[in-house]
Amino acid sequence: MMGGEDYRDRFEDIDWDDMQRSGLDSLTTQTAGFLASLGVVALLLVYDYVVVANDGPTFTTPFEWDVTQLDWLLVVTLLTVVFFAVYPLYDNPRMSRRYWREFRKNRAAVVSGVFLVGIFGLGLVGPLFIAKPDLNVLAQYQPPVFLSVPESTVGTCVGPVSDGMCHGTWQYPLGTTGQGKGIMKSVIYGMRVSLEVGLITPLIIIIIGTAVGTVAAYSGGIVDELLMRYVDIQLTFPTFFLYLLLLYLYGGTLFLLIVIFGITSWGSTARLVRSEALQRREEEYIQAAQSAGASEFWVIRKHLVPNVSNTVITNASLLIPSLILFEAAFSFLGLGDPTVPSWGQVISAGRSDIDTAWWISTIPGVFLFTTVLALNFVGDALRDALDPRAED
Amino acid sequence: MKWYIARRLAWTVVATFIILSLTFGLMAASPDPQAASYVAQQVQEGGDFEEAQESYERARGLDQPLWERYKNYMIGMVTLDWGWSETRSQPVTEAILEAWPYSVMYATPALIISTVLGVAIGLYSATHRNSLEDYAASAFAFFGISIPDFWFGILMILIFGVWLGWIPIYYHSDVPWFSLQNVQQLIAPTLVVTLSSIASEMRFSRATALEYVNAEFVKTAKAKGADSWRRVTRHIFRPALVPLSTILVGDILNIVLVSSYLVEVVFGIPGLGQLSYKAIIQQDVALVLATVLIPTFIAIVGNLFQDLAYTVLDPRISYGER
Amino acid sequence: MTEPLLSIRNLKTHFHTDEGTVRAVDGVSLDVDRGETVCVVGESGSGKTVTAESITRLIPEPPGEIVDGTVRFDGEDVTAMSEKQLEALRGGRIGHIFQNPQGALNPVYTVGWQIREAIQLHDKKAKDKEARERAIDLLDRVGIPDATSRIDDYPHEFSGGMKQRIVIAMALASNPDLLIADEPTTALDVTIQMQILRLLNQVQEEFNTGIVMITHDLGVVAEVADRVVVMYAGKVMEEGDVYEIFENPSHPYTRALLECLPGRGEKMSAIGGSLPSTTSPPDGCRFHPRCPYAVGDCEIGEQPPMYAVDDGDHAVSCVHFEPGADPSVVLGEDGSDAVGGARADGGDETGGDAR
Repeated sequence: MMGGEDYRDRFEDIDWDDMQRSGLDSLTTQTAGFLASLGVVALLLVYDYVVVANDGPTFTTPFEWDVTQLDWLLVVTLLTVVFFAVYPLYDNPRMSRRYWREFRKNRAAVVSGVFLVGIFGLGLVGPLFIAKPDLNVLAQYQPPVFLSVPESTVGTCVGPVSDGMCHGTWQYPLGTTGQGKGIMKSVIYGMRVSLEVGLITPLIIIIIGTAVGTVAAYSGGIVDELLMRYVDIQLTFPTFFLYLLLLYLYGGTLFLLIVIFGITSWGSTARLVRSEALQRREEEYIQAAQSAGASEFWVIRKHLVPNVSNTVITNASLLIPSLILFEAAFSFLGLGDPTVPSWGQVISAGRSDIDTAWWISTIPGVFLFTTVLALNFVGDALRDALDPRAED
Repeated sequence: MKWYIARRLAWTVVATFIILSLTFGLMAASPDPQAASYVAQQVQEGGDFEEAQESYERARGLDQPLWERYKNYMIGMVTLDWGWSETRSQPVTEAILEAWPYSVMYATPALIISTVLGVAIGLYSATHRNSLEDYAASAFAFFGISIPDFWFGILMILIFGVWLGWIPIYYHSDVPWFSLQNVQQLIAPTLVVTLSSIASEMRFSRATALEYVNAEFVKTAKAKGADSWRRVTRHIFRPALVPLSTILVGDILNIVLVSSYLVEVVFGIPGLGQLSYKAIIQQDVALVLATVLIPTFIAIVGNLFQDLAYTVLDPRISYGER
Repeated sequence: MTEPLLSIRNLKTHFHTDEGTVRAVDGVSLDVDRGETVCVVGESGSGKTVTAESITRLIPEPPGEIVDGTVRFDGEDVTAMSEKQLEALRGGRIGHIFQNPQGALNPVYTVGWQIREAIQLHDKKAKDKEARERAIDLLDRVGIPDATSRIDDYPHEFSGGMKQRIVIAMALASNPDLLIADEPTTALDVTIQMQILRLLNQVQEEFNTGIVMITHDLGVVAEVADRVVVMYAGKVMEEGDVYEIFENPSHPYTRALLECLPGRGEKMSAIGGSLPSTTSPPDGCRFHPRCPYAVGDCEIGEQPPMYAVDDGDHAVSCVHFEPGADPSVVLGEDGSDAVGGARADGGDETGGDAR
């Protein structure tokens, strides 16, 4: 068992200090900062839709960036992460150090974490500076740099040719596809796609799942019964085939894919939150808060939600790898967004050329595989660090 | 207990009914991709837009009121009249009947191998915790749950088909089912499906068995003179089977369904997965719906069996709760 | 003089953990005769459970290891036995009863199945039907009413006291010569405790069984013990006839234990301090950091040897009882007390069990 003092120091307790305050005072730096940032984003959104010409880019300096629906969603998600995950860690260095100590024990997870920061950092920033890969019939099937293939398979060789072999160049470090698209660029755009799927979808799942779970636990009776029966149905439907059907009927854009993933996958989270909430509700401090006259909403917001956050975060972190794998699978099947280069799409593009241009399918797969592997390692370590109850 | 089983069966029927209704609602509310392509084709050939739309709707019964369509749809579902596949010019049920043996051919061995081996290795890991073998098994499991099936399949084709020439690059469906050649070309897909499910199974059975390895009743068994094999099989595995049964049926079935879908597309096996994939590419709505509903029904039945298995395996279950 | 049924000499059982080697049992010797009940008493973490589980090598190896000493059962050295021989011994000639009857029974098997298993593991010729008859008989003997119909019930359908009776029935399945009971009554109600102890007593009288009883409950000791072994931090502090121990407690630790009992002397005092570290125990007597009578000699060298007290069956590991030393430092003017009847674990228990 943990000592009493240590036990207090957890994510779950971030709001203890301000529980006495009321009204406007209760607006912590955290919440205030978050709301202010949301305000700025909202203003920019209005600016984008009202002021900027329909097809024009939202920003022209320092770089040209036409902010899409998905980008807005990503910005909001990042803000949420900053204010509700990074800020509490910064605000409570003692807690952060303790988590770090736990996390550090797992060396594979630390390496994975560094790798993921690299991948997702590049995915976040890269597309701002690098143009989308272009069709180029003069650069089909270029091999990656340092590698060479018979000139006959390439068409026009961009790099040097010697002894009938076409050599790769730094212009296309990872080679090109049959359409002459640079794989390097596609891979970087693919990082962005995975980042968006892996970050926005869990946020949607967490928000809906937590809301439904607490409402079910608190209302009880017929509302609880209906919500949970609906969750049963949702969980019965195999996720992959539900996505498949919905993407077939409504899909076509990455934005919709993420929304579809998000609004159909919160079942298990809701179930977890409900059972956790039912347990917590019986505990003394919640009953004490209630008998002290705290409103239902206040109790949920200030006591229950922080207390189930560890469970929810752990659960979501375990969902992320499978979401990324699903996106890649659907892109591979041609149900993804054809306008956005993604890993699954490039793997699919190289499928028919596997005997001559093997690098097209394999290289993006390496990124997909290592990213998912790293996410699994980190998720595992996160579970161990956040949940002192789980032995293994 | 009888009452519980009856209620559970009733719920299965209700859930199926709701899922069918929901899918009908989805289909009715969404634009029909097939209609769009049909109309576009008619207009291209000089036909009138409105007329083309109407003729399509008449042909598909879409001019009837919604309730009528819903009724027909549900009756069709129950009577196994699942509609007509435009692209294959045959009833949907017939297309499915032709395709399913190909899926079963490799998915069944994969399911059996991964269940038996996965549980065995998981148990071994749990009883030899922190041993070299345990670490190796954990590393392998991480590898297995992280590798994308479809990419792993492509790698297999590249390495064993293109480079080594051991297996064909595409599945040959003209080969007799019971022939060595067929076995040879099914090895790689079986391995891919096995890997993805065995990894989850190993992880879960290890975690479950770990809860029992240090249980007091295992010590009691040792004190009674039971040898280690008996302790593992009778006193650790048997109680662990209760939580294990939930993943064996639910999750593993799911993993096999998904990975076989992708594997069929990669290897070109003419099973249900590829049937569905082609239907999507060719906008064959009836066939898409059917091939999505089949795994869903399998999952519903799997869930039912899982719950029934639970009642058989765990004497402590109370039937008061659902 | 014939050899005792069980004879433990200088037993050392250590656990190799990440934090270092835990010396759970560090040189324990004790004897048990047929028909005799020996109680091993001490605080939680004193190593008494590990001692009990070392007898038939129930401790998990690794991390546990018997690093030194011998355990002789009926003339044979258990520490040198093969796994096969041990399996024949466990449940065959030596029966085990554990502290927590809730956990000791496998929840997914009927109690009949579990007792039958205990029978058939050692009597391979016993057919299912015969084993079932015997299981019913055993249940009957340990006082389960209506045994014939209850044999097919699952453990969760029995109360705690009934479960402990079933565990005892399993331990008795092969008429063992020795019973090892590890706190068999701790998890039970006081009224049930007495019934279980009487049951054990009955069994002992009937079959002349030797019993090793692990307990921290001095009331239990007073009830059943013939001889007592007092353990502290993996070492034996004092041993002897039960009357000697209660009438004439000699080791400062034993005296402190007895003083913790309510109704003894003027004050009910807890033992100050806490159990020493099991990975790096103090030099000299293990008890000296908490001992009010400690002198310089207590802090150096090894644990003192067992010195005889008076002439009877009574020995103590304390420098004040060395021949020529003055035991009255510890004993004071009057060394006699009355027998008490309550738990002895009033001390500060931060140690927890060794595992």
